[in-house]
Amino acid sequence: MAVRKIPIAHKATQRQQRMLGISSLLLLGISLYCADLDMKQIAAGMERLPAIGRQLAQLSFTNGGELLRELVTSIVVAFLSVILGVVAALFLAFLVAANTTPNRLFGRVLNAVFVIIRTIPTTIWVLLAVASMGFGPMAGVLGLMFPTVSYLIRTFASQIEEAGGETIEAIRSVGGTWWHVIAKGLLPTLLTAFMATTAFRFEISVAESVILGMVGAGGIGSLLQGYISYYQFADLSLGILMVFFTMFLLEMGTVQIRKRMGRQN
Amino acid sequence: MEPILTIQGLKKQYSAGTWGLNGIELTVQPGEFIAVIGPSGAGKSTLLRCMNRLIEPTEGSVTFLGEDVVHANKRQLRSIRARMGMIFQHYNLVYRSSVLENVLHGRLGYIGSLAGMLGRYPEADKEEAIALLQKVGLENEVYKRADELSGGQKQRVGVCRALAQKPSLILADEPIASLDPKSSKTVMDAIHTNCREQEIACLVNLHQVDYAKAYATRIVGIKAGRVVFDGPVEQLTSDITQYLYEGQEHEMFHKAAI
Ligand SMILES: Nc1ncnc2c1ncn2[C@@H]1O[C@H](COP(=O)(O)OP(=O)(O)OP(=O)(O)O)[C@@H](O)[C@H]1O
Ligand SMILES: [Mg+2]
Repeated sequence: MAVRKIPIAHKATQRQQRMLGISSLLLLGISLYCADLDMKQIAAGMERLPAIGRQLAQLSFTNGGELLRELVTSIVVAFLSVILGVVAALFLAFLVAANTTPNRLFGRVLNAVFVIIRTIPTTIWVLLAVASMGFGPMAGVLGLMFPTVSYLIRTFASQIEEAGGETIEAIRSVGGTWWHVIAKGLLPTLLTAFMATTAFRFEISVAESVILGMVGAGGIGSLLQGYISYYQFADLSLGILMVFFTMFLLEMGTVQIRKRMGRQN
Repeated sequence: MEPILTIQGLKKQYSAGTWGLNGIELTVQPGEFIAVIGPSGAGKSTLLRCMNRLIEPTEGSVTFLGEDVVHANKRQLRSIRARMGMIFQHYNLVYRSSVLENVLHGRLGYIGSLAGMLGRYPEADKEEAIALLQKVGLENEVYKRADELSGGQKQRVGVCRALAQKPSLILADEPIASLDPKSSKTVMDAIHTNCREQEIACLVNLHQVDYAKAYATRIVGIKAGRVVFDGPVEQLTSDITQYLYEGQEHEMFHKAAI
């Protein structure tokens, strides 16, 4: 009897996977060609790496105070932008969400505006803010607010659309107003979800705020930028460590918050 | 006697092609307890939701206590809705709020936006809400969060919310479809007794024909968006039931099994 192997894979899936493999390889080839990589430059960089590593390994605490102060500034910038963002988004999300918008067309136009805002990178917003307000934390807050608000609106709105239906019907059916639907029906229902989203966004905003310091938004980023420019690797490594621990603690905190919120569901 | 509700030539077209309702004629007199039965997809939920315009009807008229529901403006609609209680299959409570708060939501139609948002309900309303809860046997659950209750208890809160509106008409869309037989009876009794005592007319969608027969004063059979039977319980013969659910026996069995 001839041994015939029985195929087990799904035909269409197999074809898709093959297509994916081929196009990935193709893209890799094109990318390598376009990036115009210079092997000598890479080799030279590699040679310098151990030296930089050694310098980074020597921690210097001389600028610790300044670093700490600027780190706090970075966090404050993120915090302010998120708080202001939440206030704006809480209201706007109800205007955008399909099941609560007072007017469909208006809701869609508003949503389109925020989609456009979202597609523009945070760095550009901060640069624009710096250009109009000058360097410093205020520019950071303003610049970070745009992407924060539009992120929160999108997430809040989809949470409203997902969980709202039955609650909205209930409050409408008793003759409640739009404000009743929001305040008595949706806010209590979605509060914990909103808080978890906000905590998550705060985490992202702190990370962004640290980086954005490098383009003039104030905070620890501007210090780090300076250290790199002047090869002060010992100071730089302390800064990096501090950022690392901040992010680590923050993530632990938000995970806790989300766990608690989850348990209340 | 002036009817509570008059429905004439009511049609609802969902998207091009799907008709939820196809010309409904129905009159509800004060004190009537009407069970609406019919196969799945017949348009029972659509009919009830067109009464308070949770769904906008496409054509036809609905008159509630002499008022034109279909052409009512925002304010009139609010006042109409305030006088029509609605009970949902999935209870539709605000689960993060207390049981009492949920019952008080029934009063939102009578108070302004700001007072409602701040939860400023009159003390008398609170007392009545608690009395309603006691009446349905939830006196120990008043301050529990709504999501801590069992299904049957949740639906009794839903019933209390509708009653708190002091309505002239109650619309109940399959109030017991998600409940076990014992809870079903408790809930149906709560609806029935209160409607009787307070002379509230009731329009209730039911899947279980035996429940419809047990509670209703009148039965309305709907099929493909039209009224195909309308009469007292005694006139609902097994032939009619069979015609109503024709080609749906399988489904009836399925529904009963759930
Ligand atoms: N939102 C909707 N969009 C499009 N069609 C709908 C919508 N809701 C209901 N329909 C259609 O309208 C018809 C009537 O639906 P309806 O929900 O009123 O039936 P029903 O009698 O309540 O059924 P069931 O007993 O299963 O609850 C069905 O054909 C259904 O597919
Ligand atoms: Mg239905």
